[in-house]
This record gives sequence, C-alpha cells and structure tokens, in this order.
Amino acid sequence: MTADLLTGLLAILQWKVLGFLAVGVLLGAVFGALPGLTATMGVAILTPLTFWVSAEQGLAMLLGIYCGAIPAGGIPAILINVPGTPASIATAWDGYPLAQKGHAGLALGINALLSAVGQLTSIFFLAVAAFPIASFALRFGPAEYFGLALFGISLMAGVSGERVGKGMLAGMLGLALATVGLDPMTAYPRYTFGHSEFLDGIAFVPVMIGLFGLAEVLVQISERWGKVEPAPGKLGRIWPDAAQWKRMFVPMLTGAGIGTFVGAVPAAGGDIGSVIAWEQTRRTSRRKAEFGKGSLEGLAASCAACNGAIGGAMTTMLTLGIPGDAPSAVLIGALLIHGIQPGPLLFRDHRSFIFSIVFLMAFAAILVMLVGLLGAKPLARALRIPNPWLWAGIVLFGTVGSYALNNAVVDVWAMFFAGIAGFLLRKADVPLGPLVLGLILGPMMESNLRRALILSRGDWLGTLFSSPIVVFFLAATLLSLLLPLLKKRRTT
Amino acid sequence: MSEPASAVPNRTDLIVGGLFLALGVYLTVSASMLPSGSGGLPGAGFFPRGVGVATVLLSVVLLFNALKGTATSRFALEHGRVIGGVVGLTFVYLLLWGTGLFALRTFVFLALFLRFLEQSWRTSATVAGALTATIAAAFQYGLRVSLE
Repeated sequence: MTADLLTGLLAILQWKVLGFLAVGVLLGAVFGALPGLTATMGVAILTPLTFWVSAEQGLAMLLGIYCGAIPAGGIPAILINVPGTPASIATAWDGYPLAQKGHAGLALGINALLSAVGQLTSIFFLAVAAFPIASFALRFGPAEYFGLALFGISLMAGVSGERVGKGMLAGMLGLALATVGLDPMTAYPRYTFGHSEFLDGIAFVPVMIGLFGLAEVLVQISERWGKVEPAPGKLGRIWPDAAQWKRMFVPMLTGAGIGTFVGAVPAAGGDIGSVIAWEQTRRTSRRKAEFGKGSLEGLAASCAACNGAIGGAMTTMLTLGIPGDAPSAVLIGALLIHGIQPGPLLFRDHRSFIFSIVFLMAFAAILVMLVGLLGAKPLARALRIPNPWLWAGIVLFGTVGSYALNNAVVDVWAMFFAGIAGFLLRKADVPLGPLVLGLILGPMMESNLRRALILSRGDWLGTLFSSPIVVFFLAATLLSLLLPLLKKRRTT
Repeated sequence: MSEPASAVPNRTDLIVGGLFLALGVYLTVSASMLPSGSGGLPGAGFFPRGVGVATVLLSVVLLFNALKGTATSRFALEHGRVIGGVVGLTFVYLLLWGTGLFALRTFVFLALFLRFLEQSWRTSATVAGALTATIAAAFQYGLRVSLE
C-alpha cells in the first residue's frame, strides 16, 4: 500500500502534470465564475484537449476544471445572486445578502476557504472509503453488476425532482441511444442504418458537448439575452476573524459531511447536497432567523457541502463505475477514451493510479483556495465579459473539439443534433441528467444481465435471486422508484 | 362558466408524450426484427424491446396526465428568432466544414454570429478574430489537428 501511495504521488510530482492541474483549476474557475458556463460544460468541451497528452496530464486538467468550477460558481452567486453552477444555488441564499450588507469580500473569502475544507474532507473520504468499497465490489459477478446498474438507472426518478415521468422517459432515451452499435454479446449491428461510423455506438463525448455546451448556450440565449446583470460592488475584507470561524466551525463540518454523503449517492450532486446541508444547519441553529439574510452558518454549510460532493461523487464513480453527478458522468467518458475503465478492477490493477487521483484532487483543493482568495477580484471582473462573446467561444470550441476527437465530421454533427435535442428537451422541462445516466449505464446493465443469464442457463429467477447483494439492489431499485411517486402523491 | 385551469390539456406534455410514444413504438417494432435469442437466452433485440415497451408505458402515463391537465410545464421559446438564427448560422458553418480556409470561414461565422447577437460590427470582427486565432493556435499549431 505504501509503495502504491508513493508511486502515485511521484507520478504526479512532475511539472507538466502539476501545470495541467493548475491550468485546469484556472479554466474551471473561469467556467464556474461565469453564469451559464458550468463545471459539466467545462469538463465536456475541454475533454478533447486532453487526448494529446498522457492520462495523468489529461486527468489532472479535467480534475482541475471540476474542482475549480464548483467553488467558483459561488462567486456570481455571492456578487450578483446568479449561481455560476447549479451546485452554488444555496450559496446565493446567504452569500448575496451578505454582499448586500457590504461584506462581499468576506463572503468570497468564506467561499474559497470552506470550499477547500469541503473538498479536502471528501478527498479524505475517497482515500479511506474507496478501497474497502472497491474490494467489496470485486466480489460482484454479472448478476450483481446488473443489479447495481438497474439501481443506478432507477435513480433517474429521484434526480428528476418534480418531473419524475419526464425524467424516466429521458432515461429511456439514454438507454435507447446506448443500444446503437454492435450488440455487446453477439456483435450484431443495431440501429446503425448501414453507417459504419455508428458500429462503435453513439460518440459519448460529442453528445455530452452538445447536451451541456451547445444546448446550454441556446438555453442561455433564450433566457438571458438582452438582460443586463448588475455590476458587483466593492469587496472589502476577505479573511474571517476568530469569532466568525468559531460560528462557522460546526456548520462547516456538517456541510462537508452531508455533501460528501449526498455526492456519493449515484446521480445526486452538489446542488442537492448543499440544499440539504443548508436546511439541516438552519434547523439545528440557534439563529434560524438569520438564514437567508446573510447567515455565516448558512453560507459555511452550503459552501462546504457543494464542494464535499466532489469527493463523494468521485468515490462512487471510481469504485463502481457509476457517476455521482453530471461532471463525473462526463469524466467517465473521458477516462474511457484514455483507456481507463472506472470500477473495482481499477483498484486491483492500478492502485497507484487511484492515489494519483487522490493527490491530484488534494493539490487542486489547495489551488482552488489560493485562486479563490487571490483571484476573487479578477474573477469578479470577469463577470463583465458580455455573454455573446462567451456563447460564440463555447459554440466554436465545442465544434472544433468534437471534430478533433477523431478528425470525423460525423462527431460534429452528433454534437450539433445532441445540442438541438438537449435544448428542446430542456425547454420542454425534460431533465438531461437521467439521459446521461441511461447512456452510461445502459451497456453495463444489458451486457451483465445477458452474461448472468448465460451463466444461469436462462434461469431468470435464479439470476435475480442469485445472491443477497442482487436482492438488496433490486429492493433498493424498487424503493428509489416508489419513493418519489409516494412523495408526489403526499404533496398533491 | 370557464373551465378550471387545471383541466386544460397540457400541450407541451402532449407533444413530449407523443414523441416518446412514437420512439417507444419504433423501438418495440424494430427490435422484433433483431435476433430474439434462443434457449431462454436473450438476443440482440431483447434489450431494445424492453426499453421500447417501458418507453411506451411511461409515455402513455405522461399523455394521460397531460390530458387530465395535471402537468404544469409549458414550452416557452423566448427570443425564438435569435435562437433560429444562431442554429441556422451554426448549421451552415458545419455544412461548409472542410471547404476553404478554416481561419477564414470561422472568422466569418463568428463575426456573423456576434453581429446577430447585436454586437457592433467592430466588436464582432475583433472578438471573432481573437477567438479564431486562439482556436487555430490551440488546435492547428498546438495539438496539430488538421482543421482544413
């Protein structure tokens, strides 16, 4: 273990790897700080840039973007009440009122410091919990993997909010798209319409660029074009004093813990984690009335939680191959292209690589804090960049990036049509998260079910009740499908 | 007396439900033309058929709710002309992919794109030039991707 740890550390202690990490954090900070550009979009449209470098360098940059964008999303949330990423929704609730009271600098400082605390807590969780989880998952056979994939897909109901039916339909669309290409067991071509380009299936990265890049630009034009954002005012003092640290200590730990736990739940990301942490902190606070009006406790809990979700999501993604949130879903696609298959085998065969990821994330968390503290003013100034410039840049970068993956025009068209479809789905109130879940988990679910059936010689009952783990996943699936429906029924 | 608002069929959900119903029917029918498997073991058509049937069932539920008027979502396309223009410009840019100089066609595309979003000609040309130069430097000269 110690040898793996040292090998993992030495693999990233190279100026090129650390340089890519720093560039990633800076780019992530820009993506997070500009409303309309999200962490998912940043990871998606910058993934093609990483194919020309080693896996460590590419991963360093993508992890940097992921870790840099989430905390930077709090900057516009605090300064202009517009969350830069969905994860910073709860940050705006107390951050913006605090800025309105003349403490914008303090709010930004808390965001930078507690984001790092949230990230480091969840990275510690990743380092400690991932190996036991992966070692447990090594016992999984095809039936267990089928159960796990089914459970992951069933979560599309849970992550769809009020739109359970539409979310499940979006998941079905993802599953349908996942069937395009050669059948995983018999290599029989399905839905290729005679085009050899589709034999390998739908190109994942261009579709992600379309769904989270082009579609987002069109949504932004639809919703924000012509609107003038308020200019941020003066920042003032950034560092909290001792009394403020004392007040924030418990909420910070609560937020980091809840964020990590929620992030580890497949498909539930920092947005859900930070809202739950904020609400939990409010409930237990002696100063309930201050929440939503510039409470330091509320801000501490939400900042730590939305960043804590990163390590949680990465734990689930690396150990089980199931995305913890949208950016980690896109990261799976990027890792696969680099020849890295997330899952328990990664922990058995490439232990040092896991430690490299842990150290990269830890370094990223420290860089994030420095960027947040030192770069608060320049990033606040970046809010003045006109939206049309950003939109033009994203469309161009997404197009060229999709093409550069394989020098294939078909990938560019895949990005374009995915973008149009994503825009129309978003406008029709159909969530895109379940679609991505279906697209990722579809092949895992199908191939493992069919493998399990081959092993049991076609015995369905024997497959579905082959072990307590499968039964557990089936029960969890049933529960995750029924809970949102029961909740909806209760509210109506 | 006017009908209560909640009883008005939701047009957006009707369209979404209808499109997904068509997708589900297509998947179910087309999957039946794929090998179905043998000896109790599913073939290539098994999974798409399952997805198709589930899609049909879920879309019927959505259509039913939409007809009852219980759903609340509404398709609102603000700035439709601008979005249409942006999509159209991008479409033409992609159609012209591989013809002429990358830098020239990209510059023209971006300048028109920005002008369409009501930036002045001067700003459009400046930003388009800067973005084109950045992308060309990053991909053509940095990563050695042929974009011509």
